Amino acid sequence: MFTAGIDVGAKAIKVVVLKDGAVAVRRLGLTGFEPRESTLKVFEQALREAGISRKELAFVVATGGGRKEVDFADGEITEVGGAAKGSVFCFPTAKTVIDVGAEEGRGIRCDSAGKVVDFEINEKCAAGAGAFTEAMSRALEMPIEEFGALSLKSTQAIPMNAQCAVFAESEVVSLIHAKTPKADIARAVHDAVASRIVSMVRKVGVEKDVVLIGGVARNVGFIDAMNRSLGFDVIVADDPEYIGALGAALVAHESVSHGRKS
Amino acid sequence: MAKAMYRMEPLKCWNKAKEIRQDYYRDYATAHEKGGIRWAGGAWTFGAIPEGLGDDVYSLTSEPYGASIAFDKSFSLKCLEAVEKKGFARDLCSYMRNYWGSIILDRYAFGGKFPKPDFLWQDHICCSHAKWYQVVSDLEGGIPMFCIDVAAGPYHEMNGHKLRYIVDQMHDGIEWLERITGREYDDGKLIEAVHNECRSTSTWAEICVLNKAVPAPLDEKTMYSLYVLGTLKKHSREVADFYEELRDEVAYRVENQIAAVANEQCRLMSDTQPPWGFLKIFRYLEGFGAVSVGSLYTFALIGMWEDQPDGSWGPRKTPAQKGVTIQTRDEALRILADWNMSKPEWQHFYSPHLKSEMMIRIAREWKLDGVMLHYNRGCEGLTVGIAENRLALIEAGYPVMAFEGNMGDEREFDEDRTMSRMDAFMETLGFKMVRA
Amino acid sequence: MFEHFQEWYDRRHDYARAWKDKDAGKVVGYFCTYVPEEIFYAAGVLPVRVLGSHEPQDVTEPHIFGMFCPFCRDVLAQGLKGRYDYLDGITIAQSCLHIRQSFTSWQKHVPVEYSYYLCMPHHVQSLRAHPFLTAELEELRKSVEGWTRAKIGDGELDEAIEVYNESRRLLRRFNDLRKGPNPPVSGEEAMLVSITNQMVDKRDHSVVLEDLLRRLPGRSVGNGTKKRLMILGSENDDLPFVRMVESLNAVIVADDHCTGTRYYWNPVEPRDNRLEAIAARYIERPACPTKDWPERTRVPHVLNLARDHRVDGAIIIQQKFCDPHECDIPAIKKAMEEAGFPCLFLEFDVTVPIGQFRIRVEAFLETLGMEDLF
Repeated sequence: MFTAGIDVGAKAIKVVVLKDGAVAVRRLGLTGFEPRESTLKVFEQALREAGISRKELAFVVATGGGRKEVDFADGEITEVGGAAKGSVFCFPTAKTVIDVGAEEGRGIRCDSAGKVVDFEINEKCAAGAGAFTEAMSRALEMPIEEFGALSLKSTQAIPMNAQCAVFAESEVVSLIHAKTPKADIARAVHDAVASRIVSMVRKVGVEKDVVLIGGVARNVGFIDAMNRSLGFDVIVADDPEYIGALGAALVAHESVSHGRKS
Repeated sequence: MAKAMYRMEPLKCWNKAKEIRQDYYRDYATAHEKGGIRWAGGAWTFGAIPEGLGDDVYSLTSEPYGASIAFDKSFSLKCLEAVEKKGFARDLCSYMRNYWGSIILDRYAFGGKFPKPDFLWQDHICCSHAKWYQVVSDLEGGIPMFCIDVAAGPYHEMNGHKLRYIVDQMHDGIEWLERITGREYDDGKLIEAVHNECRSTSTWAEICVLNKAVPAPLDEKTMYSLYVLGTLKKHSREVADFYEELRDEVAYRVENQIAAVANEQCRLMSDTQPPWGFLKIFRYLEGFGAVSVGSLYTFALIGMWEDQPDGSWGPRKTPAQKGVTIQTRDEALRILADWNMSKPEWQHFYSPHLKSEMMIRIAREWKLDGVMLHYNRGCEGLTVGIAENRLALIEAGYPVMAFEGNMGDEREFDEDRTMSRMDAFMETLGFKMVRA
Repeated sequence: MFEHFQEWYDRRHDYARAWKDKDAGKVVGYFCTYVPEEIFYAAGVLPVRVLGSHEPQDVTEPHIFGMFCPFCRDVLAQGLKGRYDYLDGITIAQSCLHIRQSFTSWQKHVPVEYSYYLCMPHHVQSLRAHPFLTAELEELRKSVEGWTRAKIGDGELDEAIEVYNESRRLLRRFNDLRKGPNPPVSGEEAMLVSITNQMVDKRDHSVVLEDLLRRLPGRSVGNGTKKRLMILGSENDDLPFVRMVESLNAVIVADDHCTGTRYYWNPVEPRDNRLEAIAARYIERPACPTKDWPERTRVPHVLNLARDHRVDGAIIIQQKFCDPHECDIPAIKKAMEEAGFPCLFLEFDVTVPIGQFRIRVEAFLETLGMEDLF
């Protein structure tokens, strides 16, 4: 039995196809300016890779900010619900999920069934989310992957304002002009973002095991900053950007298994 | 679409409420035409006191006026930008900025130029309240202002000298009013106004108690349009009479199971002022069969409450109900001060933990499934301590959804993100949107 | 010359712990300078102001909404992180809503054996404030007596008042030295002196300050070309910022902050009723904006400071989101500029973008210099 989950994010569309509840295919594509068309494209690619046609899919669940674009979905689940579901599937001991994407950071507490107990989303005043880190990597004229790795080479911590992205950016510019080593600037930026995310997650309470998902979870510098901020190591999903789509696909699978297809 | 569980009916007295509000704003603007006087001050101000100056005294209360501007997003934006041009910060109280903008642009939200008040009569409940009118006076080239400090402590600590402090300022205020207006003060009118205020605010609490019923006869969005009258002139016979009429109609709805939301299956409460430009979020909730039955804000900014004999929360008995006749000015002022100091919505200024207790009580007695907290960037006075309220509600076992916004500055409200949060919250509570 | 003050500033907690150990005394942390410290001091308690540490933190978000000022969150963070674990009590006199949250959250989440919220009146321009505050202080006195089991009679109060008045006298003398054409101290040094006054026993502070005053004559930090500046606004103890400004051929010769002159400006004048006398002092002190209404008394006060200290311009500092000061700043800026004192406005957080601020201050100083050219 095949089911699918489609996560329509601000930057990227992720599709996960399950066969009898196990991951068969994962595909990703950019959202761009035409989310409906982009979604269809990535979806069709995933189906081709799975070797099935749309008719053979028992149930499709959409998630993500743009989930309403998926007018052929049989059901939907919010990003929060999808993140919890997907994380607990991959890490059954997960109690706290931290989902950091381009636009938003979320802190989610969940139970062992992957059901959401409480959640918080980063507020307006936050140097948080991936967009800021990427902007700062551009300011230092290096790709984001290098920026994250470079931060690990820092030899000194520089406190940076962790409330306002505009202030923080000003501080980065100051540091550049003061010829501060790039590695130290990189670390300061990652620390600032991590501090905002941890601040927000503390509102729902941090209980181990803590799982980190979302696009920014690929950034080794961010992971390091999170670990230091929390005082312990988070578990990082191998393919963090797919967890939401996986959660949606799992909900699709459960819907069929429990006979809930409409 | 699921079959409706309950009957729905529009409120019969709805139009009357609208008329009272419209007349209020018209009367303020046209006060001088009839030889009357007009004043401006906050919604919490001791509006009963200027009533002693005559039958032709009209007011403009600041917060509802600021909210009225907020409904009109394009006018509000003009007001806010005008204020920013004058060098004021964007994070100041958004009611205040809308109001100032209206003066700067010399445009009254209800048509015509902005009617300048003859005097300012205020009380200082938050950091901005007295300062609000200091700036108004600056903007208008100077207007006489009197402001009463009410920060004498939480009601459970009220004592002789604290009450005296407030009452003595009130006495000073009356002397000042006589001087400024040249009118002789009529204590009889004051006493009547005090009785009216007690009656209207106690009755409003009665109405809110009726919302304990399942299904709730009123939803919070509707309540805003009704409670606002108390923020305009709670000291008037008209509002006191109207609330009694409304109470009787709501009681009828309870008896006959007439609901605000036909598919009520989820009961919530909110807190702080709503984002006035986006009240549609309440309609969005109805799609889940969710009704917001009120909040400490809706219940207790205008309503006056006390413990009932059965231990539940209910309306505070008025002096008239207790058989008290007010004979003198000092008595009237003492009752007015004591009555207002007991306002539940006032207590959290001293400690958020006092507010948490009341919120948990509402959640319990009104049988709630969850709470939506508006982290309102537009009002430091009502948002103070909100994070602690959230923690306390969660600890007490009530799911809480927090969303950021601004009651009067629509630029700070992200509609899509908020709806998205609501989806996630309702999903957490186990309710799905009922599609047409 | 200022090493002692620097030491106190850097190791404020060590000082307080040592003070406690010395005579097994109690320490009370206060959250606002409207707290009548004399009453606590008269009971043998050391009042210390709870201040922030200028470090980004991630612990206050569950307790205080991010739209309240960074200072109040920085203050609470100190409590949550255990930095003030030696405090026996905390107290606040109501002023602004922001710092109030630091106090009420501290009450719930950071254990202390004693806490007291004083209803300091806001209507300080009304005569009614006096009997009210006097009565409130009577209740405070009883409460502190109950907590400490010490008697706070006229004798004890007189002694405390004298210690505080002496400290204020010395600070005013110190501040007056900055009026002259060759100020003997920099703004950074002056800030160190005034802020440490809020951290230590005033007896200790007065000894060191008196010694400093003896050594200052003849010292000058001026060079004849430095621009004379005033800083005013919200709570401010940002020493790196002040240092940066003064590295640009400027000297800060005056201030209106609650970590500066607003704190120590006026003494307690003697009255038969000591509590009445203390009440009068706090009612009549330079006002916090939350209490400066209906008249704006801050405007003439700030203008007088600017004139007396012959400043060339002022830097208006406002903590991000500080509503009270935001309400006042346009009026103050207008009055200052009309009186011939150009102003630069800067918004502060717990850390500031020094580089960007440097550019702005440099530009500002340049405009001050323009007038000299013509």
